Amino acid sequence: MTAVDLAFLLNAAIAVYSGWRVFRTDSMVRASFLLLISFLAVGAIMLLLGAVYLGVAIFFMMAVEMMIMALFMVMFMMNPAGLNPMNMVHQERISAAAGVLAFVALGAVAVFGEFPSRPKPEGLDVVARLGHELLGDSMLVFESAGVTLLATMIGVVVMSSRRGRYGDANEGSVPPGLEPGGEPAGQPPDDDDEEHGCH
Amino acid sequence: MSLITILVLAAALIGIGLYGALSQQSFVMLMMGLELMLNGTMLAAVGFWAYTAAGVPEGQLLTIIVMAVMAIEMAMGFALVVAVYRGKQADVTEALEGFRH
Amino acid sequence: MDLMLSVIAVLATLSVGAYAVAVIDRICGVAMGGEATGGAGVHDRRNPFLAPLSRAAALWLAPPHVTEAPDAAGWRLAPVLYLTLAGMGLAVVPWSETFVPVDLATGIVLWGALEPLATVLIFLHGWSPNSHLPLLGGYRYVAVGLSYILVSMFVLIAVALPAESLQVSAVVESQQELWNVVRQPLGLPLFLIVGLGISFWGPLDFADSNDLAGGTSAESSGRALLVWQFARIAMLVSFSAIAASAFLGGWMGPLLPGPIWLVIKMVFILVLLLVLGRLLPRLSPERFMTLAWTVLLPLAFVDLVWAGLEALS
Repeated sequence: MTAVDLAFLLNAAIAVYSGWRVFRTDSMVRASFLLLISFLAVGAIMLLLGAVYLGVAIFFMMAVEMMIMALFMVMFMMNPAGLNPMNMVHQERISAAAGVLAFVALGAVAVFGEFPSRPKPEGLDVVARLGHELLGDSMLVFESAGVTLLATMIGVVVMSSRRGRYGDANEGSVPPGLEPGGEPAGQPPDDDDEEHGCH
Repeated sequence: MSLITILVLAAALIGIGLYGALSQQSFVMLMMGLELMLNGTMLAAVGFWAYTAAGVPEGQLLTIIVMAVMAIEMAMGFALVVAVYRGKQADVTEALEGFRH
Repeated sequence: MDLMLSVIAVLATLSVGAYAVAVIDRICGVAMGGEATGGAGVHDRRNPFLAPLSRAAALWLAPPHVTEAPDAAGWRLAPVLYLTLAGMGLAVVPWSETFVPVDLATGIVLWGALEPLATVLIFLHGWSPNSHLPLLGGYRYVAVGLSYILVSMFVLIAVALPAESLQVSAVVESQQELWNVVRQPLGLPLFLIVGLGISFWGPLDFADSNDLAGGTSAESSGRALLVWQFARIAMLVSFSAIAASAFLGGWMGPLLPGPIWLVIKMVFILVLLLVLGRLLPRLSPERFMTLAWTVLLPLAFVDLVWAGLEALS
């Protein structure tokens, strides 16, 4: 049991445990940071496997993504700090069964599958080869990923901006009813008849 | 640390992610399940790269593409969450009626 | 043996460096006519060498503050993890031709990754006390911090181009003929701004500012506050190490041994950062964001293109 094996087992345990706790914790901000911990553990395993650039890139990207996720948790979840216990699940048994089935099926492929054994050669300059590949043979992939990201950015700004072509994006939106299909909750919209009170 | 253990770990992450994606009512938690699944996929890709592909750079390229896909999915997902909330004031999947059978 | 030496080197540098920063900051403050750190007032006649130690002792003995329903784990962990980030950053810096605590092949990318991780921890430190002003400090930092993550990455890539490697030791060795501060003149000023930001110091102190009554540290006291302040200063120290390695030639120098040169250059960068911290005012967050996205980011692009053209020719 070398140090690398121990480090791998530790990181694997952290990844699985914190991934599990994401869906079991009450505090939503903690959920996004637990997911970050899971990602960091996977990034550390990638560093152990020798993919030095990918591991550090995972640290980088997932930190920013989980930061944004935490902000959205605070925006959209009713209980971001977990001060009340809450359990917002639906079809729980089916999804648990699906999760277990996926694990068993993929695990069976992993254990019983016959994979060729071509380990990474020693002295491989991983980062330099990746760089040559990205900017050489796979330049088209790289550039299209860049253009796709640009399209995503434009699409996201368009979808979330408040100024629509025909007016404000929030116009006409009312809160949902207290029972399904009922009157909108909150105050009714102002009537113009109130001006009668002036004279 | 062999290929089998890494793939089992990746399978575990995918299983937990699938459980989360199917069981959570809130949109943001659902997206976190999807992120976990992609996490497992990336780990499996790097495992295959290190043990069966003799370190060809295409393995790392696949992982980088999956990372870009994660970023795109998160960005679009959050924009859709914002748009749906503005239109229907819905922040859980149960509040949407469109695809209900 | 090597591991022990690395750990001792990093810890010793962070501790001694933090003390040195506190002393230099007080001397700068008194010399430039402002108040010394800790809000001690304009005419702080305390000995600048003993005052940081006495303040640390006071914080060590002060009682911890409790708020209602905080995220206790996050609140206590955030300063420790921030200190760990500072240590990680310092660990990839080479001290001499042969001694690097952790010679990571992608050390430059790791430094780019430290800024987002620091953002997460500062937000956690602001979120955890369950109080208004720390939350505002955390949110402000996140909003502004995202602006200069990109600047830091571009400046570091520009530094990596002449070295043709992402290893910090290779970046240092590529400065044999000419230092990067001369070869890429826009790099060091932009990187200093990033450094002020990652440890939210001086003009970029959006997280712990005094218009938020201490921001993310508003509810901290006692040992937690001591560790947080120590972590901030430690981040400043390890940032000065990477700035010295990436732009001023690191351990390279004529007569003295490598580590001595690195320490001299680190002290130079620290004095520069502390003077800038006292000299420049803190802009409002909206103005700074406008400045970052419309001025600093295009300058970072220009720096990168400059470095690229130089690498091609």
